[in-house]
Amino acid sequence: MNQSDSHAGELARLFDESLSRYQAALAEAKDEPALRVVHARFAGKEGEIRKRLADALKAAPGPDKRAVGQAGNTVLQKAEELFASRLRELHELKRQAELARKLDVTLPGRPHKLGGLHLLTQVRLELEGIFAELGFQVATGPQVETDFHNFEALAMPKDHPARDMQDTFYLRGAPGEDPLVLRTHTSPVQIRTMLAQKPPVRIISPGKVYRKDDDPTHSPMFQQIEGLCVDEGITMADLKGTLLYFVKRFFGADVGLRLRPSFFPFTEPSAEVDIECIFCKGSGCRTCKGSGYIEILGCGMVDPEVFRHVGYDSEKYSGFAFGTGIERMAMLRYGISDLRLFFAGDARFTEQFR
Amino acid sequence: MKVSWNWLCELLDIPSGLTPQTVAARLSVSGVAVDAIHPIGKGLHGAIVAEVRAKRPHPKADKLTLVDVFDGNEVTQVVCGAPNVPSPTEPGTSPRVVWAKPGAQLPSGMTLSAREVRGILSPGMLCAEDELGLSEDHAGILILQPSDGIAIGADFAQAAGLPDWVLELDITPNRPDLLGHIGVAREIAALFRHEGVTWKASSIDVSALKGSGPQTTPASISIEDASGCPRYFAHRLSGVTVGPSPLFYRLRLQRLGVRALSNVVDATNLALLLHGHPLHAFDFGKLGGQKIVVRRANAGEKMKTLDGQDRELATSDLLIADAEQAVAIAGVMGGLSSEVSEATTEVLLECAYFAPASIRPTARRLKLHTEASHRFERGTDPNGLPAIADSCAALIVKLAGGYLSSQPTDVYPRPIATQKLTLRPARTCAILGLDISTQAQSECLEALGLTVRIDGKNLLVEVPTNRPDLTREIDLIEEVARIYGIHNIPATLPKLAMTASQPLHHGMTRYRNADRARQLCASLGLLEVMQFSMTSPERVRTGEGRASTTAPLPIDNPLREELSVLRTKLLPGLVGLLSQNLSHGLSDVRLFEVGEVFQPSGQQLPTEKTHVAAVLCGHRDYFLKPTSSDALDFYDVKGLVEQLVSGLGLSLSWQKPEQASASSVFVRVATSDEAPMLHPGAAAAVVSASSGAVVGTFGELHPDLRASLDLPSAAFAFELEVPDLPIVKPAYVPASRFPAVSRDLSFFIQSEIEAASLLGTMQASAEPLLRGVTLLEDYRQAGHVEAGKKALLFSLTYRSDERTLTDEEVQKAHQRVVDHLGKAFPIQLRQ
Repeated sequence: MNQSDSHAGELARLFDESLSRYQAALAEAKDEPALRVVHARFAGKEGEIRKRLADALKAAPGPDKRAVGQAGNTVLQKAEELFASRLRELHELKRQAELARKLDVTLPGRPHKLGGLHLLTQVRLELEGIFAELGFQVATGPQVETDFHNFEALAMPKDHPARDMQDTFYLRGAPGEDPLVLRTHTSPVQIRTMLAQKPPVRIISPGKVYRKDDDPTHSPMFQQIEGLCVDEGITMADLKGTLLYFVKRFFGADVGLRLRPSFFPFTEPSAEVDIECIFCKGSGCRTCKGSGYIEILGCGMVDPEVFRHVGYDSEKYSGFAFGTGIERMAMLRYGISDLRLFFAGDARFTEQFR
Repeated sequence: MKVSWNWLCELLDIPSGLTPQTVAARLSVSGVAVDAIHPIGKGLHGAIVAEVRAKRPHPKADKLTLVDVFDGNEVTQVVCGAPNVPSPTEPGTSPRVVWAKPGAQLPSGMTLSAREVRGILSPGMLCAEDELGLSEDHAGILILQPSDGIAIGADFAQAAGLPDWVLELDITPNRPDLLGHIGVAREIAALFRHEGVTWKASSIDVSALKGSGPQTTPASISIEDASGCPRYFAHRLSGVTVGPSPLFYRLRLQRLGVRALSNVVDATNLALLLHGHPLHAFDFGKLGGQKIVVRRANAGEKMKTLDGQDRELATSDLLIADAEQAVAIAGVMGGLSSEVSEATTEVLLECAYFAPASIRPTARRLKLHTEASHRFERGTDPNGLPAIADSCAALIVKLAGGYLSSQPTDVYPRPIATQKLTLRPARTCAILGLDISTQAQSECLEALGLTVRIDGKNLLVEVPTNRPDLTREIDLIEEVARIYGIHNIPATLPKLAMTASQPLHHGMTRYRNADRARQLCASLGLLEVMQFSMTSPERVRTGEGRASTTAPLPIDNPLREELSVLRTKLLPGLVGLLSQNLSHGLSDVRLFEVGEVFQPSGQQLPTEKTHVAAVLCGHRDYFLKPTSSDALDFYDVKGLVEQLVSGLGLSLSWQKPEQASASSVFVRVATSDEAPMLHPGAAAAVVSASSGAVVGTFGELHPDLRASLDLPSAAFAFELEVPDLPIVKPAYVPASRFPAVSRDLSFFIQSEIEAASLLGTMQASAEPLLRGVTLLEDYRQAGHVEAGKKALLFSLTYRSDERTLTDEEVQKAHQRVVDHLGKAFPIQLRQ
């Protein structure tokens, strides 16, 4: 055994000793930061192994340096492998620990607050959408109206018995002016629209209206939606087709309708519209009072008197108008029997329709 | 209006197969809505009229009576439980009752038999009105007098005109001609013209009504106001005997909803129900000067009407007066002074035509809506008066005796002519979208009693004066549609005329923004409610503050005090709803409303704005059970407001910006005048930076309000105007590719200095690299922070869009911001 052999043996012993302590320390490190500290202490730049290698290189005679260096690299490589393997092991332990976590998934969730639109808002938006498909644009108007827009221009002059059909709330007008009214229908929007533009007119006008009434089927405030279509050559058949489209889209493709002649001061001919009872399919039930039909809206051809008030030539243009209650649509669709529920603000009612 | 099927059958020949139900169904789809059909006396068989011969108490029961009744052949004892068994008089003049013998059938389906009542055998029973199917009345048995003219032993049902059907019609205001049986019969004849329904001819022989009594001079009648009363027709009758009408007529009136009074008055009511034209009978002897003057009321004039009420008259009211005083309010109600009474023998029968426009204002002002005013204000037939008066006179003579004692008086200064209209059949087709031949159109109109002549392509139509609703071509088109059958109209869709895009209609920006506000609120966890626009003055005071001079718009004729003014804010109502919902046992309540509020404007129409408001109380999301730290607080409601304001297109800045656009708003402390419903220490105002106007408030509900509503915990609220500005669609900004760097800034400062002024100052430092300032901590715990001061921790974010910033660049920028802040405020940096 020559001297260089004994040097090499000593070095190998030192490296082995370092590696075995390193290995023990790695095994003791329980997390990645601790592991990295151990790694730095043994295999880092300032670590023990490099230090011993540097000492050995310094002490080794020239021809041996190369072999010492090689031995050192092998050890360092081994050290890195040990580190990487322990790191993987720790990651796997951590993952296993994470996967071992178990919740009672049947505990109730946090009661996040779900907001919601009023049923009448939902129905209104749906109706606006249906009529938009037929090219009807939304139009609005004030709820406090002049006598002219609410009555006069709609062929209901003062002291006309037709005014009895709509029990009206009055407000004092400006000094010297006529009393104002809380609009009794959305029809004043027809007048405002026609005064503002020339045909073709195709509007749908939703909004709050007011009548002096208060019982389960009449509310002093409710919402109407009204349509108006004026152009050359508009016929009552067009009215019927438009309403049929609406009824089928809103109540179902299998629901038919019928027109019954009626009277409204601002349309002529006028009609009430019945749909086939959606509850008994027309065979007769309590809701339709055995008739097989349910009344849903009023309509007619715009009266020439209305055209006169807005300056339209009734020989050139014709048109139709129709109007219904948004509450009525909602009541039929959802089986609600008391109109007052819509305005009672009871969250237990409103929540059901989110 | 109620009509009797049997009465219609007196006017029409109706084929036997045509039932009242079939007729009602056809009427309903032809413009005359039938609301209900009531059977009268249906199923009544074998009940007879019997005379009361004797009565005595039941030996074993106080409330029962043993009645001996005579059926024309023999006397039988019947047990009766009614309290009104009449006392017998002499045979032949004794009161009569309706006896349902064993075997008789009642409308209820019951078949009578002989049965023991408390030990005494009763063969059948004596009947009350309800048992006979006449009415709901069960107060006592029906009692007939010999004057009813029904023989002892006669079949009651036959004598009383039973069975009958009453049709309840809903007559639209344009069809006064349908307010009588004749008009309805005419309509039925038109609708069933192809099914064999025809008119029965009838006429009145006036000369036969003159009788043999002495003739006198016609009544003196003068019309001072021919525009209010274009025609006045009157008959004089003498020798009438006022008394009850025979049972048949009393029952007919009863089933049509009219109370039987006396034969003369009943005759006028029956004529009204037949012709749809109101008539009035005066006691001629009580008319001062024995004359009639039709005139307007004098200033301050008063009279007592038939209902016993003293009426103060206006000079616009049309009156029927005698030489001395008013004796009737024309077309509305008669006066008490000239009322027909038992003693009346001389009658003046008025059959006049009053102009609709003169009747309605009077009836409305006096709140006297009568059968007469209802018809006159809709329009009666001026040219039908003589025939109607004759018919009524004949009925008076029939029911009350007497005779026509003079020529009638007919004052008709300005005769009203029939309308002559032209109908273009092509126009009918163009309006209806349905081809109907000229011949068919003509036939429809003739069926209604109009006279039609074909003139080239047109129809010349003469409209009788009983159809005041037919004045224009379009009215005739409607009649053609009705009679031809509206169900024949096909369904088509209107041809879409494409036009250049229409500008948005007026008010649509606000309308769309309101829907946007609804969607935002729902997304933020709030539940939408809807309240009446009408509210109470008290609620307005709550919302506006006691000191406010804002007067809400009052409704002149409110339903009740709580709905007597228009709301100026949404919150007072919402707070009430919050309290109601809590009282239902709910604990976490979050409600919102988007709706209109109203303010006087000084213009023709008041100002209508749309507000969005919410109330909330309870907790944030919590696990299993809420803890105190889960309770909602001021900053929850502020967070909602921040989201809502931005969502509605407003730009919210920490402080009033130097250059403010119309959409720029900021938040400051609200005064108690601005937010009277909020806690003065937790109330904020959203202020328009450009106008300085407060556009909303939010905060915690005032403790006094909370106490008055008995709310169990703190509640929070906001109310904002929905902006009337289009929401500007933002241009897309690409996310920066370069990382942002944060620096903390922590300092002490006087606690009264508002966070917003510090945040605003930092943002206003004009440091180009500063991209965001976030407040992380507001710390003021005693012992750790000097009294009167607070420690604030901010996080400032720096970023460039061109490069990754170096530490040095960030440090320099941060220092510039800190220096800028330090110049404005005495901040004391923490290290």
